[in-house]
Amino acid sequence: MIVPMKKAVLFALKQDREALLLSLQRSGEFMIIPVEESTQLSQKDQAEMNALKAENTLGFATRYQGKRSFLAPNPEIPYEKFIQTNEDATELARQLEQLEEQISAAGTEIGSLEAQRDQLAPWVTLEIPLHKLGATRSVRFHTGYIGLGNADAVKDSLQQAGAEVEILGTGAEGRLLFLACHYSDEEAVMEAAKAAGFAESTPPRFEGLAADAYALCEHKLEEAQALQKDLIQQVADLADRREELEILCDQLKAQCERLSAPATETEATFCLHGWVRSDRMDKVKKAVEQVTEAYDLAFSDPTEEDDPPTVTKNNRFVTQFETITDMFSRPKPSEGLDPNPVMAPWYWIIFGLMMGDAGYGLIMAILLYVFLKVKKPKGEFGKLVRVMWYSSITTMIWGVVFGSYFGETWHPLLFAPLDNPVGMLVFCLILGVLHIFSGMILKMYHDIKNGHFWDAIFDQLSWIILITGLGFLFLPQLAKAGQVMAAIGALTILFTAGRNKKGFGKITGGLGGLYNITGYMSDILSYSRILALSLATGVIGMVMNLLAGMIQGSVIGFVLSLAIYFVGHAFNIVMGLLSAYVHDSRLQYIEFFGKCYEGGGKPFKPLSVATKHVDVIDQNNEI
Amino acid sequence: MTFGTVIAIVGAAIAATLAGIGSAMGVRLGGQAAAGVVSENPDLFGKLLVLQALPGTQGIYGFLTAVIIIVRMGLLGGSAIALTTGQGWALFGAAMPIGIVGLFSAIYQGQTAASAIHMTAKQPDASAKGITMCALVETYAILALLVSILLIFGIQL
Repeated sequence: MIVPMKKAVLFALKQDREALLLSLQRSGEFMIIPVEESTQLSQKDQAEMNALKAENTLGFATRYQGKRSFLAPNPEIPYEKFIQTNEDATELARQLEQLEEQISAAGTEIGSLEAQRDQLAPWVTLEIPLHKLGATRSVRFHTGYIGLGNADAVKDSLQQAGAEVEILGTGAEGRLLFLACHYSDEEAVMEAAKAAGFAESTPPRFEGLAADAYALCEHKLEEAQALQKDLIQQVADLADRREELEILCDQLKAQCERLSAPATETEATFCLHGWVRSDRMDKVKKAVEQVTEAYDLAFSDPTEEDDPPTVTKNNRFVTQFETITDMFSRPKPSEGLDPNPVMAPWYWIIFGLMMGDAGYGLIMAILLYVFLKVKKPKGEFGKLVRVMWYSSITTMIWGVVFGSYFGETWHPLLFAPLDNPVGMLVFCLILGVLHIFSGMILKMYHDIKNGHFWDAIFDQLSWIILITGLGFLFLPQLAKAGQVMAAIGALTILFTAGRNKKGFGKITGGLGGLYNITGYMSDILSYSRILALSLATGVIGMVMNLLAGMIQGSVIGFVLSLAIYFVGHAFNIVMGLLSAYVHDSRLQYIEFFGKCYEGGGKPFKPLSVATKHVDVIDQNNEI
Repeated sequence: MTFGTVIAIVGAAIAATLAGIGSAMGVRLGGQAAAGVVSENPDLFGKLLVLQALPGTQGIYGFLTAVIIIVRMGLLGGSAIALTTGQGWALFGAAMPIGIVGLFSAIYQGQTAASAIHMTAKQPDASAKGITMCALVETYAILALLVSILLIFGIQL
């Protein structure tokens, strides 16, 4: 059921603004919306930046500490602790930020030293100090690279031209050559060198032997690496205090949300506009009263122009299934129809039918229960896990009805789908018809409630009669009644489907309406996917059992077969869950919602303590 | 082994092969898109994995059909039924819908999944809508699977 919303306007003194927003955030019932003249505080940008920075720092620290186990729940923090500013954490974040800069600087340093070292490497064997390679009175020196291929041949040709040649090391550019020759031979030598592909390269700038330069570079590199290692160790040590950082992150985010609350201002007062659930108005009032007496809080009903957010209130079971509907589209308050109470049981039943194995249902029930207890998943994901957990019950029930236990067939109460696929198909289609009918009846109920009695009769009931009649045609004892019902339904549609059109459209509208039968047929046939999926789960389970059974001859075979049982059934359960989730959702979205529901509502996002890394436990909240 | 048995085996093999190829291609298309998105936003991995896995079902359907044919022929039990040539062709034909439709629908579903993954990258909350879009493509693979299964069980051996 959709909870009616109230528009709230709150006036208070500016000096109470921070305290009031904090209190409203704690109550988590006031969704602040911007109005035309409203502004946000200027500190908001700074707060946003701080929050972002803290989040980055946390990510940086996490990199050097390793992730928490997937199953570990978020740490729980009492509310009182959550609202205290923790100077230590701020300091910790600052230190980590500094370390991050230092580590990145060390990384750059290491990179440039490595490049330098690689450049020096080919020169190491040269026994002349690098700064003494300038020309002397009669000797000219040249250094440069040639290709990797034919060093000895080049050496010979250069020696013939009159040069002393020494082959030094190999670098990225090729083989390094050192040439010394008399100045009179220089021209001939260089010509021969050029012909051999010699590329002149000036020696590195260094006073002394290349080998010394290399050693020095190595030494610096080692130091830089040691420094980096030390810095990383420091981060790892600090990262043990990660929980403080996580609290800080969430604190800053909460603060940021308070500061970005849009409000209109006068000299001394400010004004918040927003939405409140009509059943929680007193909570908001209490939250304000706790802070100040100087306030004015007014609630009013939404007008035609307003677009209030959607809050649905259902029992514990149905609430979990709201996540399925919300992923399609939230109910719209102006439409006034909440499909969840009808949708939830159908989703539950069909999910079980698609899995359809008692053994798998039992495993789902146990594993998901443990997961729910250990991880305590929250929000939409938590709802989805609970949907699957509830569905493990129907999975077990249908498994017993169709006699499927870990892929083996054993005493089905009804029949085994594999032995009687046509029977199963008919069963699925009948279920589909009932599902669609329930959607149409929901629509009828809604139409009649809104005073559109004849629409309900002409657009919904006529189809229900027609489809039921067509179904009866298959049963010999009811065929006569079926004919009458189908005729009544078809005639009603033919004469009324065009009732809102003018002139000639009244006739074509009726025919067009009747043509919709193809749409209904394809909707109903779509439910055959239940058969396909339940067969898929059953047969793959059976194949795994067959495979395992084939190798069970010896001891090793027996151990291997256990592995096949385990991996095979685990795979089958995961794929089955995925398929059932996807196709069950689709049946709701296309076939069921298509008959009764549009949606288009906005989510209700009150100002609240919305944390990501820690769970805030607020025991002393008196509101 | 009769000629009919051979034809039926070929049919089963083709069903599993074509559908498997289609699924591999479909999952690859999804995986490429998902890898790109995850490189920017690692938090989306879980949602994208679901989308990527969707075109994988056709391969399972093909496998399923092949196994049902093998079981019906009694190949695994040790006492294979000697099929006539007509029965062999019938089983061969029955295996074709899921093989051929599985091949193409998995590829197209993979393309839809890749688009849905891009959509999820921009609007993480819309992933369920993307899943629905992919599921619409899969409908036809499911219908083909049903035809194959009903035919296989309908053929008198």
